[in-house]
Amino acid sequence: MRQFRSMIYPYVLWIAIMIVVPMLLILLYAFTKGANDVATFRFTLEHFGRFFSDAVFLDVLKRSLVIAIWTTIVCVFLGYPIAYAIATGSEKSKIFWILMITLPTWINMLVRTYAWVGILQDDGLLNKFLGLFGIGPFHMMYTTFAVVLGMVYNFIPFMILQIHTSLAKMDKSFLEAASDLGANRVQSFLRITLPLSLPGVLSGITLVFLPAVSSFFIPKLLGGGQYVLIGNVIETQFLTSGDWNFGSAISLIMAIIIMLSMYLTRKVDTDPAANGRGE
Amino acid sequence: MKKLIQFKNIVKEFDGKLVLKGVNLDIYENEFVTLLGPSGCGKTTLLRILGGFLTQNEGQVLFDGEEISKVPPYKREINTVFQKYALFPHMNVYNNIAFGLKIKKEPKDIIEQKVKRMLKLVNLEDFADKNVTEMSGGQQQRVAIARALVNEPSVLLLDEPLGALDLKLRQEMQRELKKIQQEVGITFIFVTHDQEEALTMSDKIVVMKDGEIQQIGSPTDIYNEPVNEFVANFIGESNIIEGVMLEDYKVMFEGRKFECVDFGFDKNEVVDVVIRPEDLDIVPRADGKLKGVVKSVLFKGVHYETMVETKIGTAITVKMQVSDDRPVYNQSANEKMSANDFYLDVDDVDELDDATIIARADAQAWNPDEDEFISIKEVQYNIEKKNGTYPVTFSTGAGTSVTVNMIVKDENRVTSKENEEEIFAVNFFKKVDEIQESIALETDLKTWANASAWSLEDDESVEITDVEYDFDPENITAGVYDVTFATKGYLYKVDTTDKYEEGDEVGLTFQPEDIHIMSKQP
Repeated sequence: MRQFRSMIYPYVLWIAIMIVVPMLLILLYAFTKGANDVATFRFTLEHFGRFFSDAVFLDVLKRSLVIAIWTTIVCVFLGYPIAYAIATGSEKSKIFWILMITLPTWINMLVRTYAWVGILQDDGLLNKFLGLFGIGPFHMMYTTFAVVLGMVYNFIPFMILQIHTSLAKMDKSFLEAASDLGANRVQSFLRITLPLSLPGVLSGITLVFLPAVSSFFIPKLLGGGQYVLIGNVIETQFLTSGDWNFGSAISLIMAIIIMLSMYLTRKVDTDPAANGRGE
Repeated sequence: MKKLIQFKNIVKEFDGKLVLKGVNLDIYENEFVTLLGPSGCGKTTLLRILGGFLTQNEGQVLFDGEEISKVPPYKREINTVFQKYALFPHMNVYNNIAFGLKIKKEPKDIIEQKVKRMLKLVNLEDFADKNVTEMSGGQQQRVAIARALVNEPSVLLLDEPLGALDLKLRQEMQRELKKIQQEVGITFIFVTHDQEEALTMSDKIVVMKDGEIQQIGSPTDIYNEPVNEFVANFIGESNIIEGVMLEDYKVMFEGRKFECVDFGFDKNEVVDVVIRPEDLDIVPRADGKLKGVVKSVLFKGVHYETMVETKIGTAITVKMQVSDDRPVYNQSANEKMSANDFYLDVDDVDELDDATIIARADAQAWNPDEDEFISIKEVQYNIEKKNGTYPVTFSTGAGTSVTVNMIVKDENRVTSKENEEEIFAVNFFKKVDEIQESIALETDLKTWANASAWSLEDDESVEITDVEYDFDPENITAGVYDVTFATKGYLYKVDTTDKYEEGDEVGLTFQPEDIHIMSKQP
């Protein structure tokens, strides 16, 4: 194997250029004042000060986290039963349902989200359908509901696939053993299936929470102009205001929040206490 | 003792294939029962039906007199040690063992007491907090046993639990399992394909094959009095010789009469005679009940496995005359043709007809371009019933013809008075390419030489097992070659502590009670 090791160098170089350098640039921008030139850097912490002292930004951050958490919660509670049903179904239905779940991801996310605008708007499909029964119309566009719905719709496949994988690779003999030891189906599920599928749930949470907390076009399309999330703020700083330094600082704050949440999920996953005697 | 479990006419099929064909079996309290059989015999299926993981298609399972087929596994007073243990990977040793008790919501201090006692029983006292995935196979095995036993079942099922362990550990666990069973005093039902395991641990062995029970009995019963050849071979290596039960306590094999302890067979019933390798003794030739020659000696650690051949079989050698004649080519009709000389027995002359002659001479005609056979229209010959050489001419409709010789000779057979066997074969002629193109040369050689052997006693045919020749079939050239056909002798496997040399002429002896008779009828 040793002689192949040198083959990884091109990739190391690629990673350096495409990932490490941009990260360093963000770091540099976040801690410097605008109008840098090559020779002079003026270091400052004022962007961070600005972010944390402005109630508007903190509000946006809070709202982003709340939306992402809601999205994740809905994805877990909706995704788990679906994944469980698929994993315990027949081999044929398994293939079919996995296909049905991954199929929408073949289509561009933006297009799919636009479709929801048509469904949810005041004279949209859903309200027309409900109108047939004399219900509504409801105002759904530009609400938290619409944004969470859009996010759940876009990100739930990641949750289902992660949970399904961990359920599918679970040894069926564990359930036989539990049944043999006196556990009925509910007890077997709670004590064996659920804990053994937790790693899948955790990686599903990571895969849903991360894009949800930083998404900017879903709130933009379904939340409208007034529904600003942290992703939108960053976008505006870069594209509209042209304040790259402030945008970088917010990005950095987000990165730290994400790293923290990843660290926490990782910690739950391998916590020896989960194997402990206490229950 | 009372019957704890009764299987009544259990039938199970998977995808139309019968896995259990009406099994009846009673299991008593406090028994160590082993279901023994090769893989696919249905032993695991039977165990899983008892455990509640499978439902039989027909029949009843009674537990303590009550039908339990409809009772789900978690309500049965039965616990299982699974083939690959199925320990819960997310729990430590303590929690794995405590699982069943926690489900039953027993008080915490009682759970702790019971688990500790189990850990002690399986010698894992210091491992309570250990993660099961970090344990060795033998330790996992013990945890699995403890996890099952802590629920105080009245029956413990063990599904090939020692299969994954190495030999030394396996033997250690065998002793330990037996000890545990005696200590807790409950019924163990153990499934294995390892006869040694079955013999060392069981009170009762159930030998199964193809979904049917072959024999039920104690290890000594099964070992000493196997009911049929399958059991005898499966339960240990054995010498099995065909014989005739002359009357009660009297059996004849190898042409001699011997006393035995078996009775209840029909007069002159053909039977299999079983003699275990360790029951045979090698003695000076003059003292032997059977006489033979040492064929091979194999050191087995504690003893020598000595193969003694008592009957040497009968052999005949014939000449194969190989020519590299090319086929006759008739250009105008575009036909090729070939045939061989062949030998005939005087007795065969009467029964000679065209078809036989064509077959024996291997006469063929074909179109070389299309590689299609052309029928032989005419066979011309003139033969008398006495020794001599007689030409025979084969021709096709287009006029292509070949002439070969039929050689009538006295019969060529070897009679062995000692073996009461006769073997017959004739010399034959072949072409180089016929030998090169043969796919099953030994069978072809037998056909070409018309080789056959039979017993002089009952005229039944005896299989020719050995065909020997000393040419390389791929690169054979024209010439004369010897081909030897032979029947097999009786080989006895004898376990001895002394070492004998190959070729030693020895005698074999045994006691009347060492002869075990098995009926040939199923």
